[in-house]
Amino acid sequence: MSSLDHIRQQLHDAAAAFATDAKPLAELLELMLDDVGRALVEPLLIFPVCHHSPASALHMAQRLRQAPPKIIFMEGCEDMMSVLPQLRECRLPIALQAFALDSNSFPVKWMPLNCILPLTEFSAEFQVIAYCMTHPETELYFVDRSTDHVFQWMPQDENELEDKLAAPGEDDSGDDESPQTKNAPGGSALVLQVGATRPSFADFEHFLLRNARVRSFQEWWEQYVEAAVLGADFATYREVMLLVGSLLRRLGRATADVDSDRRREQYMWTRIKEKLAEKKIAPRDAMWVCGAIHGVSDVEEFGTHSDKVWSIPAKSDTRWQYGLIPASYASIERQFGHPAGTISLAESTWAKSMKALNIKPFRLEKSGPEKKPAKNESAKAAIADADETDEKEESNVPIIQPGVKTGDEILESFFSKPPVLIQQDEEQLLRWCVDLVNLARKNGYLSSTADAIAVYHTSKLLAGLRNRLHPTANDFTDAAITCVEKDRVPGKRDVTKLCQIILGGDRTGVVGYGSLPKLAQDIYDRLKPLGLKLTQQVERALIDYKKHPELLPCSDLLWMLHFLLGDIARPVMGQRKLGEVPIQESWDLSIGRNQRAIIELAYEGVILEHVIEKRLRASVNEPNATAVTALAACENSLLYLKSERLTEDLGNRALSLVELDPTAHDAPEVFTRVRRLVAYYRSTKTGLPKWIKNFVVTGYTHYTSVLPEAFSDRGTKPEQVAGMLAFVFTLESLALSLGCSRSQLVIAIGQASSRTDDPTKQGLLWAAEWLLGLRAVEQIRASLDSALANPLMLPAFPGYISGFLLALGFTPLVARIVVELISKAFERLPEEVLVPWLPSLMLLLRAHGADLFPLVLKEVGNTFPKGLTELKAWQAPWEQLEEPSESSEATDTDSEQGESTSENNGEAIIVSPIGQLLRQQRTAPSAIAAHLGETGAWVEPVATLPAQGEKAEVKAKVVKNSGATEPLLLLQKYPTAMNEIAKLID
Amino acid sequence: MATTRQSKQTKAESTENTQTQSDSSSSVSANEALRAPAERKYADELAYLASIDTGPRPFSWRLSPKMVRIFVLGSTPADKIERPISQKFFGDTTLVERAIVTLASDRGLLLIGDPGTGKSWLAELLAAGLCGDSTLVVQGTAGTTEDQIKYSWNVSMVIAKGQSTESIIPSPIMIAMQKGLHGRIEELTRCTSDVQDALISILSEKYVNIPELKTDNVVFARPGFNIIATANSRDRGVNELSTALKRRFNFVTIPTVTNKKSEKEIVLFRTTELLARNSISVDVPPALLDILLQTFADLRDASNAATNEEQKIESSLSTAEQIGVLEDAILHSRFFGDSTLKGEILAGSLIGGLVRKIPEDVTVLNKFWHTVVEKRVSDSDWKGFVEGGKIALGKFK
Repeated sequence: MSSLDHIRQQLHDAAAAFATDAKPLAELLELMLDDVGRALVEPLLIFPVCHHSPASALHMAQRLRQAPPKIIFMEGCEDMMSVLPQLRECRLPIALQAFALDSNSFPVKWMPLNCILPLTEFSAEFQVIAYCMTHPETELYFVDRSTDHVFQWMPQDENELEDKLAAPGEDDSGDDESPQTKNAPGGSALVLQVGATRPSFADFEHFLLRNARVRSFQEWWEQYVEAAVLGADFATYREVMLLVGSLLRRLGRATADVDSDRRREQYMWTRIKEKLAEKKIAPRDAMWVCGAIHGVSDVEEFGTHSDKVWSIPAKSDTRWQYGLIPASYASIERQFGHPAGTISLAESTWAKSMKALNIKPFRLEKSGPEKKPAKNESAKAAIADADETDEKEESNVPIIQPGVKTGDEILESFFSKPPVLIQQDEEQLLRWCVDLVNLARKNGYLSSTADAIAVYHTSKLLAGLRNRLHPTANDFTDAAITCVEKDRVPGKRDVTKLCQIILGGDRTGVVGYGSLPKLAQDIYDRLKPLGLKLTQQVERALIDYKKHPELLPCSDLLWMLHFLLGDIARPVMGQRKLGEVPIQESWDLSIGRNQRAIIELAYEGVILEHVIEKRLRASVNEPNATAVTALAACENSLLYLKSERLTEDLGNRALSLVELDPTAHDAPEVFTRVRRLVAYYRSTKTGLPKWIKNFVVTGYTHYTSVLPEAFSDRGTKPEQVAGMLAFVFTLESLALSLGCSRSQLVIAIGQASSRTDDPTKQGLLWAAEWLLGLRAVEQIRASLDSALANPLMLPAFPGYISGFLLALGFTPLVARIVVELISKAFERLPEEVLVPWLPSLMLLLRAHGADLFPLVLKEVGNTFPKGLTELKAWQAPWEQLEEPSESSEATDTDSEQGESTSENNGEAIIVSPIGQLLRQQRTAPSAIAAHLGETGAWVEPVATLPAQGEKAEVKAKVVKNSGATEPLLLLQKYPTAMNEIAKLID
Repeated sequence: MATTRQSKQTKAESTENTQTQSDSSSSVSANEALRAPAERKYADELAYLASIDTGPRPFSWRLSPKMVRIFVLGSTPADKIERPISQKFFGDTTLVERAIVTLASDRGLLLIGDPGTGKSWLAELLAAGLCGDSTLVVQGTAGTTEDQIKYSWNVSMVIAKGQSTESIIPSPIMIAMQKGLHGRIEELTRCTSDVQDALISILSEKYVNIPELKTDNVVFARPGFNIIATANSRDRGVNELSTALKRRFNFVTIPTVTNKKSEKEIVLFRTTELLARNSISVDVPPALLDILLQTFADLRDASNAATNEEQKIESSLSTAEQIGVLEDAILHSRFFGDSTLKGEILAGSLIGGLVRKIPEDVTVLNKFWHTVVEKRVSDSDWKGFVEGGKIALGKFK
């Protein structure tokens, strides 16, 4: 303590000189020095650090070489320790992750719980980890609260976590350098850090920044602490860090944060004491690595001299899983709210300082393909090479003058001297200037060597203005913006962005194969036959399955990945549909930069198939699951898993869901899916499985029973009714063969007929009735003509057309009526009805056009003349039919209706147009009759009535009084032929 | 005297940079002037800063760059100077530093930004701090000629004595060159391209040729000469700067103030300063100042959300406009009211200040007032303001 007396006096004097009322300031300074003194006398070495601080890392590397402790305690969730051995295989930055899919102990909205702790190479914490892993004689323990406690100690409010996650997430969405921003490492995770040292009290931060004339706390830290302690000796480093920690703790932290800090310190000291007692290690052989703020803690548990421990609360029953995921500089900056480029800058400081101070950092032995450093890291590569040469040279490594100084000397020199200028700074600055101009030129700026000179000059001037011996990266960036940026950005990147690239750019970590979870390893193994470098950002795969049928399993895997993770595996060519066998496929794979997504899949299952099955089962059991989701799950199960067993389970679930749906609003979707499945199963060897047969039967009865309600319910859209009818009519033959009865449908339609007032639904209903033989086309035509004739009903006419258009979805036969109706509409509807209707017609056609258009067009082709010459003589078929029908007494001669109506008509023999033709040209039929050995008289018809258009159709001639048709009469009259045929059959 | 004296039509009166004659024979003394230039207004501060300045001064600068920064941005305890220096420009520190550093380099400084962001004010402060003379100004307009950048002739003298050094009328820029000071060009982008081209040689060769003279026909710039230009980013494209000229300028973009706290400081600072001319002390109730700022913030939001020009009012809604509104309201209450600023009067000034086109602006403001401002009437501070606005709007016929 006494060693600080001198500086104490100095601070007193300073307080008296600067403050209007020196007392409070002097007291504060006194307290701060007490804090530092308390930490310094502690026999257990307190090593204060700041997260991602190269100075901390360099001092740590030196200290560990100089005086390695027997045991190191480190701030960091104690349960995350378990994944540390896997770090060997990785390229940093990497984040330790704790993950829980669900838990009963926390609010449901928080799920899944995801917590990460990012590590960079140039952090003191990584230096400790690397050292302890390469020097087993030193033990390492994380002593901070467990992940479970992190979540336990948050207010258990539904929205609490979201607030915490949202804050750092919002950032550079326009960042063209990292298109994976959305999936950026740590995107939706709660992020922790070792050695968090920054103010959380906004007013303090504002004051600090304003007085220091810097833009961000990071810049402040770098200029006033980092640069100063970088080249200092260890004692100075420690005292300065503790002093700054004390300042921030006393003035800069919000109350809630101070409370949380205290709780964590109690936790850490309790664990430290437990471990020391358990391992029987003296405090002086131990080291505690913690944030500078925690180093000056004022909790009672602080210090090995007191036996006081805290009773640590129990963990919840949550099942936590642990792993490593890649992180990136950009994501770390975003998570901690640092200005862009901070971490890259720290990296360049680290590289530069290592070179200048000739310090060798601790690294983990790497294996696997990830160990080669990237091209743009030449400086680091050189260092790495040097590092790999030999660790034994340690003893020769010059160490920054530790010297034996008393406390006051140390702090005094810190306050009075600027940091040492490192020779490399100058070179670095020149290189930056030249590189920037080159890069700017490539990005469309008209920059030249003159600009490089101007940037260099301006950087120097700015540094001078800002009291710096040498320009920092911030000065350089400002200078570059001043000299190169003009009124507009010519390319995609502005000068700020270019500077970030020059200063190191973003880096994404890679988790090595050995450290990957089983599922991820399985993916890499199964994709091996493709011979791709999966570590690359994006890799294109072209696969010809005809030539290499052995690669078909890869296709399955890629489709599964696409299903689960979207564009991480993006098909450029090829598709996966039911029953489709791939021939050639082309894929863009970005597995390398999306490792995290794959690693997180591993928390859900052991292999991909397992994950998909789990997800499909979960999707159909969700409370809001519908028949559509269940059918989609069935289809996915067939597509990706080819599992009959699972599909059946899911199908049975679909069955129960369709019955539960009282409205049947999703009928159109259900119909298209079932039709697709039925079509697929019919093409397989096994035929239709039981579940789909049951589904069709259930669907048929269910939709039939809700039809009347659907027609009358205004909440049910015509499209939905059309979907139901489509299901019923299209799958009718299958349903009937499985035991359903058409009478149910006939009754339901009968019920519906009196209940609808919507013209579109009315149109649908008429189409359905016509299909069922309940209504003749003439009746429909008569109703519609009367609608056209009645000005009050005119506005409803377009609705009828829409109804028939929708009906095309289940019967192509109505195409003829549709063409007729649309032609009439355009011919007869007044403009005030026609014009407002056109947009809605277009909307309808746009939505359903793909299915309906071919049918309508085909019919139009048949109806209208093919050339101009034919146009003169052309008459619309319905007009041809209308004229004779006016003279006719009969009302209905539709072919299907022929027999039934004939019974009610008097003595008329009704002749189709073909019949008429035969009668006009009697020679040929008589000759045929003679050839058959029959001669007889022609029966003359009383009247003719038009039949329904199609020329190939042979229309029945009906003789009412005998109750038999004309052919029958003929056969009865001339039995010889029949007898001959009967003989042949016998 | 060729100094241009066009006033800036586009700007509110409050931010106008009244140009004074650059020669010392000005008949109006600084104390009597309606608006004294920065170097006279802050003469004490400048003298004090010069007296304690120990830092290196580039060229013939009156102050070292650090002291200029303190002059513009105000002092902080960290500067360790005895006399507090007030903050005169409210904005990013970096921006001012970049501007100062540029002037110490070989390149000219071009301040670019929206109208009312304080470009001219910063230019004036810089010129005052660096060379003690901010009045060497050329106002860029479509009618600015090359003569106004270089030199012109005193015709009667030419007739009497012929072309000689005496009969030359130097432009403010040429005076700056001769004396090693900072010349200013306002609204550079409004100048035609031949005028802009004339600047290129001045900025790169640092001399002006006078071909009419046989001898002594080159005016060289003394060390310390540089140019501070301003350009309006809304006028972009009127007279696009050539690449050659762009290269000779460092661009410093002055952003619109969106931070409410800074904006409040600026509005109060400028209004106080402007009203000091009338010897009126400003006493704005904090609630009313908040109302003014909030209304402008709402108006900007509404303007940004507008999908077509008809839904926007003509005003640029800059900080300078707010200063104008506040000044107007204070003057109104002082001369026609009971000397205390009330919500009604503020609303009247606001409406009066913002309506430029009738009926378009009235229509937009009427809708804005009844949908956005009306909602705040539950707050008692807003009551008078809301009502006053309605009355003011009702007066437009």
